[in-house]
Amino acid sequence: MSTLRADGRRTAELAGRNAFVYRPTASPQAAAVWTTRQVAMTNLRTVIGRAYPRVTGLFREKSWVFFEILLPFLSTSAFVFVYRALQAPPQYVGFVVLGGAMTAFWLNVIWMMAQQLWWEKSQGNLELYFAAPMHIMAVLFGMAFGGFVMSSTRALAVLVIASTIYGVSFAVDQWALLVGVFLLTLAALYGLGMMLASLFLMWGREAWHLTQLLVEPVYFVSGLNFPIARLGVLGSVAISILPLAVGLDAMRQLAFAGAAYPIGTPPPAIEAAILVAMVVVFVLLSRWTLAVLERMARAEGRLSVRWQ
Amino acid sequence: MTVAEPVVRPDAPGLASPEWGGFDPTRTRGRGWVDVRRSFLTAVRLGWQMEANWTDPFLFFVYSVAKPLASALILVVMLDVISGGGKPEYRAFVIVGSALWSFVLSGVSGLAWMILDDRERYRMLKYVYVSPSDFLAVIFGRGVARIGVGAMGAAITLAVGVVFLGVPFDVGRIDWPLLIIVMALGVTSILAIGLLLAAICMQTRQESWSYPEAAAGALFLVSGVVFPLAVLPAPVQAIGFITPLTWWIEGIRRALFPGGVSAVGGPGSLFGQLTGAVSPDPLLIVVVLLATGAVATLGALAVFRASDRRAKDRGLFDQTTGS
Repeated sequence: MSTLRADGRRTAELAGRNAFVYRPTASPQAAAVWTTRQVAMTNLRTVIGRAYPRVTGLFREKSWVFFEILLPFLSTSAFVFVYRALQAPPQYVGFVVLGGAMTAFWLNVIWMMAQQLWWEKSQGNLELYFAAPMHIMAVLFGMAFGGFVMSSTRALAVLVIASTIYGVSFAVDQWALLVGVFLLTLAALYGLGMMLASLFLMWGREAWHLTQLLVEPVYFVSGLNFPIARLGVLGSVAISILPLAVGLDAMRQLAFAGAAYPIGTPPPAIEAAILVAMVVVFVLLSRWTLAVLERMARAEGRLSVRWQ
Repeated sequence: MTVAEPVVRPDAPGLASPEWGGFDPTRTRGRGWVDVRRSFLTAVRLGWQMEANWTDPFLFFVYSVAKPLASALILVVMLDVISGGGKPEYRAFVIVGSALWSFVLSGVSGLAWMILDDRERYRMLKYVYVSPSDFLAVIFGRGVARIGVGAMGAAITLAVGVVFLGVPFDVGRIDWPLLIIVMALGVTSILAIGLLLAAICMQTRQESWSYPEAAAGALFLVSGVVFPLAVLPAPVQAIGFITPLTWWIEGIRRALFPGGVSAVGGPGSLFGQLTGAVSPDPLLIVVVLLATGAVATLGALAVFRASDRRAKDRGLFDQTTGS
């Protein structure tokens, strides 16, 4: 039986439309039994809620335009001028620009995904996440989606501005594969970030230093500014474990088709398959590590321990 | 009825109320430089503990060296891909530049991250601020540990360059007076830029962690770190000339590798057009570094003071953000 509310609408009418509305139940036990739709809607809402501050933050404080677009563009430009000083072929400038754009996603993954749960613990939010009636993976997906939006603006800006200013000409034969590889690279990167988020939670303060360790050394082994084939075995190992390395190499092959440079790496289709495998492995591993670490943290009472 | 104010007795034992008999103004003035020195040393010790006590010394060493070494290796591979090892003098140029840049990065980020660490992470900034310690002394003290780590990374990168990457180096040819003067002036300039970033980070949000590196990345372009400025358009070269870091790196290169590639001069450079010289002589390097460093230092102090006032006005010292 529906009742009339103060605003003139009936509760039953609202309950039919909204999974979150209060529903009268006979007992607390009955209230705790959620329908599949309620669970799904709550997790979806969690994803949106966690992504919200990252997306909205773009519009709240405009200083990021200067610090996260203009300055990284200048940083990328420095490597362009290194190649110009060496009188390198023009496609190498394109490699730097493409690498500069992709660094936005990598930095976002390690600073705002991998480190985030540890950061939330230090801020006192983590126990609230675990206490709330939602799946923690939904929080990670929300962080990933928000981070993706944030980073995309920066990456796109660097790509467009640098390509225009430095006259980078792309030669793309397989647009669909290029777009597919790009999306797979992002999925694998954020999957890795979700997995690292759990591990960083366990490593505590070491995570902070590990984050810094994962910048330049990863740029080096990923061949950010040069063909990764030049690194030989080290490059092969990077391609098999680092989404940034394999994704960049595949995008480079697809965006500069026919360019003369040392390749020696698998063709883009194979690298796309490697990325698919990485997505599956990283997401499954993140789910597993999160469950294990949550259990450990609960058992050892470390969910609310800060700054360690 | 009015109550007469108590008279300060000459034998009053400081603040040992209630016998002391009144207010002792000398206690509020502190002990000047003695207090500043003590605050600074305490902050240095605290900064070092925070930097280093999370792991064992070996792992700490690996973490400290990996970043500058990887930066240098990126450039070495870029160089080798194009020249095939045919430009050994340029290899020395990029290794020295990237090693010194790790020092710049640590100096710039050390001060800015102190603000962010204490405000966003430990939420202690407001307590530090209202303590009797000189705030600037605390900021500089906390930055020292990171600068030390950066210096170690720079030294190791240079050593790797000399031992494993074939950088020609002769200890007997080092221009020690130039090295010492330029290093002292350069470190002051780096700290000034760090202070400027700290002032900016006082005003911004949690994501400011990446701002020091972003700012350093921009300076990387115009400071002749890994390529001669001559490849840049003339107006951008001119911007590079007003940056103290350009002259610091040029001076260090000149002191360590006399006769090497110059970042400021060279064929087609704006410096060559303006002065008619191939490269700047040591005296000019020191004078320009002194002038640009003084401007940077005074400017950073002014910005820091303004930021400090605004932060107090808007309650930013205890503001935490999140995203």
